[in-house]
Amino acid sequence: MNKNKEQLLNKRYKAEKRFRLYGQGAIFMALLFLTIFIFKIFSTGYSAFQKTWLIVPVTFDAELMMLEQNPSKEDLKDADYYDIALKSMADLDPNANEDQENELKRMVSYFFEREIKRELLNDPSLIGKTKDVYLTASDDLDQVFKGNYPRDLPEDQRRVTDYQLKIFDQLVELGKVESKFNLSFFTYPDSREAELAGIASSFMGSIFSILVCLMIAFPVAVLAAIYLEEFAPKNRFTDFIEVNINNLAAVPSIVFGLLGLGILLAVFQLPRSTPLVGGITLSLMTLPTIIIACRASLKAVPPSIREAALAMGASKMQTTMHHTVPLSMPGTLSGTIIGLAQALGETAPLILIGMVAFVNTIPGSPLDPAASLPVQIYIWAESAERGFVEKVSACIMVLLGFLIIMNLFAQIIRHKFEKKWS
Amino acid sequence: MKKNGVKMIKINSKNVDVFYGKKQALFNINLDIEENQVTALIGPSGCGKSTFLRCLNRMNDVIDICRVKGQIIINDFDINDKSCDVVRLREKIGMVFQKPNPFPKTIYENISYGPTIHGMAQSKNEMDEIVETSLKKAALWEEVKDRLHEPGTGLSGGQQQRLCIARAISVKPEVILMDEPCSALDPIATAQIEELIDELKKDHTIIIVTHSMAQAARVSQNTGFFHLGELIEHGSTDKIFKNPENKKTQDYITGRFG
Repeated sequence: MNKNKEQLLNKRYKAEKRFRLYGQGAIFMALLFLTIFIFKIFSTGYSAFQKTWLIVPVTFDAELMMLEQNPSKEDLKDADYYDIALKSMADLDPNANEDQENELKRMVSYFFEREIKRELLNDPSLIGKTKDVYLTASDDLDQVFKGNYPRDLPEDQRRVTDYQLKIFDQLVELGKVESKFNLSFFTYPDSREAELAGIASSFMGSIFSILVCLMIAFPVAVLAAIYLEEFAPKNRFTDFIEVNINNLAAVPSIVFGLLGLGILLAVFQLPRSTPLVGGITLSLMTLPTIIIACRASLKAVPPSIREAALAMGASKMQTTMHHTVPLSMPGTLSGTIIGLAQALGETAPLILIGMVAFVNTIPGSPLDPAASLPVQIYIWAESAERGFVEKVSACIMVLLGFLIIMNLFAQIIRHKFEKKWS
Repeated sequence: MKKNGVKMIKINSKNVDVFYGKKQALFNINLDIEENQVTALIGPSGCGKSTFLRCLNRMNDVIDICRVKGQIIINDFDINDKSCDVVRLREKIGMVFQKPNPFPKTIYENISYGPTIHGMAQSKNEMDEIVETSLKKAALWEEVKDRLHEPGTGLSGGQQQRLCIARAISVKPEVILMDEPCSALDPIATAQIEELIDELKKDHTIIIVTHSMAQAARVSQNTGFFHLGELIEHGSTDKIFKNPENKKTQDYITGRFG
């Protein structure tokens, strides 16, 4: 009898030990996946924050630029920079033939003309002089310099020619190639050329979409939640509404995209590809999230506070607005931020309403065509050029950074301002 | 209090029935409450004494399924009548709850809330005065006068309950309802509140629900005994405790059940 008991006890202890082991294993697996994921993104993405520049001597020849004597600022703006830009690239190899000159030109981005112009506009006294100018290297050379480019492939299988590599290596040896922080990744809009592509347009698109989403979803959701929780009679009809709000939260996002396409674009004729339409579509998705968060935090306000206010002779409205709602705000706000973070990462509905279009301008308002960060990731991931691989990871890093900041903010609000009821 | 030997009746309830959905919680309650006296409502748990108390300021309205029948007449006016304005009624009839429930705001704001929503102070000075007198009446002034702008929830349990009493009297109610105000407090805090109740009855009519018969005997002049939703017996506290008419009352008071 006693022995049996001991065996049973041992069995129970063993079961507990096993269970702990399973739990630790599960957590280890989760952390492992997360680490691999983050490591992969960082190791491919970090190089996108560096950009390779070729330092090329440029002679600001007034004659080639078609400039008169003592040019005004306007003249400088209208001057022709293409010829001096072309010439300075060709001068890298005095013996180059016409084909090789063309190859030399393709070693830098097609912005080289603009970069030279900017230099002169900054310092008009450069006319007639020669100066080393930083020119953005082509995306392939950028990858070569970063060591991501397979140089040992046969020449006909790569986009960089042997001749370009030779000149590039000479420049590297001379110290005329430099890697600097890639500011243009943040300030340039999207581009077909990887070396010039930035996230400015999609970033602004995301910001505008989220703002539109917030301005629509927050007031509607909070009013709906307050009414349902505090004022509406509890009957079958309100139960039915509640069930449907919960259902709405579970609807796949692409369905909302179809709704936006079918109603906002087709019926109301709102401008396609704009953050306005994107924001409205996202707000439909965010609405149930905020309603549920707001109702939960209203429910969490103890009834004794409502009773205290009512017993003081406050009306229902005063009780709600003076006490219940302010006390529920931390929970509501953190729920809202989490809802917005979800909306920020949403891709499918935005693709359907046309925010996937190639946009190479930075939107100035919610009515301008724009992309959004996750859609930008999708667009770049589809691009063939090697230069976009690191951009995809870099854009994911920016998006993740934003999501982490938003979630952190939500946590802080919740922990700092939420009242603890004993 | 007697004027010319006649008891002044403040609240007069006639045939009050209360239902929670289909379940009847109170049966035909007829109870008169004397002005400027403390009336204690006693009885075992679930006997309906708190339900009756909540009828008096219509706090039962908050509960969806609760229905109240019968008349409750205060100042010649039936508060269950459709024309009765609940907000006005609750200005006249304050309430203190079982668990101290100060607003999670400052001590000052806790007191000034009622006067503010009822527009009782024209200036900051007037409000300061209301806050001070209310706190003094609740015997809390000395303890909190230097920290009026600290949160009321930071006070001790007994202080919080006195804060709630101060909040209730800030709007100068005629009647104060107390629902087991000491059940969450220690004996010292309880003694302070009981002393306070005695003081308050000069200006207010007080109805207190209590589980403690000793407390009922200490603070009240009149007592009503509830059992299973019925008012078994009521009368002066002396009589109820020393010489009850009903067998059930006697059993309860002597501790045979409840």
